[in-house]
Amino acid sequence: MAGAETKQERQTLERFAARYRLPQNEATREVELAVIGGDWGANGYTTMAQADLLAEALGLRPGMRLLDLGAGRGWPGLYLAKRSGCAAVLSDVPVDGLRAGAARGRAEALSRRVSAVVASARHLPFGEGSFDAIVHTDVLC
Amino acid sequence: MLRACRRLLRPGGRTAFHTIHPASGLTKAQRRRASRDGPVAVACPRPHRQLLEAAGFVDISETDLTTEFAVVTRAWTEQYAAHREDLVALLGAELFEERQADRSAQLGAIDAGVLRRTLFVATRPVGHWR
Repeated sequence: MAGAETKQERQTLERFAARYRLPQNEATREVELAVIGGDWGANGYTTMAQADLLAEALGLRPGMRLLDLGAGRGWPGLYLAKRSGCAAVLSDVPVDGLRAGAARGRAEALSRRVSAVVASARHLPFGEGSFDAIVHTDVLC
Repeated sequence: MLRACRRLLRPGGRTAFHTIHPASGLTKAQRRRASRDGPVAVACPRPHRQLLEAAGFVDISETDLTTEFAVVTRAWTEQYAAHREDLVALLGAELFEERQADRSAQLGAIDAGVLRRTLFVATRPVGHWR
């Protein structure tokens, strides 16, 4: 799989890619609301309250440019863009997750401020000093 | 990856991230358990503060989120169980049970004190390269 350099990374990326190929339904939405406190397609351990702390720690505000590495379906980058008014680039390897994130961005009228880029964190196609802030949650180090 | 993050940030820009990692001061057996029962990212070779310093970040702060990590892991397990029928229909029984087993093992490792979760915040320094 593109972006993976070791067998373990390939297996992990394939697991996540398979996860994002699965559709979301009302049950997954109810579970996420109960666990995370939101319905942004999260499947990890960052709650809404912790995402709010990320926004505060980064000082996010309109005019800033945020990179969310390993964004999956857009959690928490999409939410941070909506909450703070900043622009956000969602980056990850599984394309299905990013498609879902882009669709949610359109639904939230965030298309002008949010974009999605298929890229591994090891090979990021951005120039030096491109971002005011970078966030990632429980991704490979 | 942290070096790439520093390069991509403007001088004075900040990164904030959550990471799951082994507790400090573990025996080899405990580290093996943390790696076995935690997510793959736990295989990280060095403490994140050291990695951030080596990547050239400054003003590094860390906040322990392990208690919340246990609460959220438990909540995923309980909510999955509560929605079992619908989720088995969506995921298939094998994947559903695999996820529940993984979360159960992870919760055991958290409760045993070998697995932690931390928020790190760090800044790309202004005005010099290392």
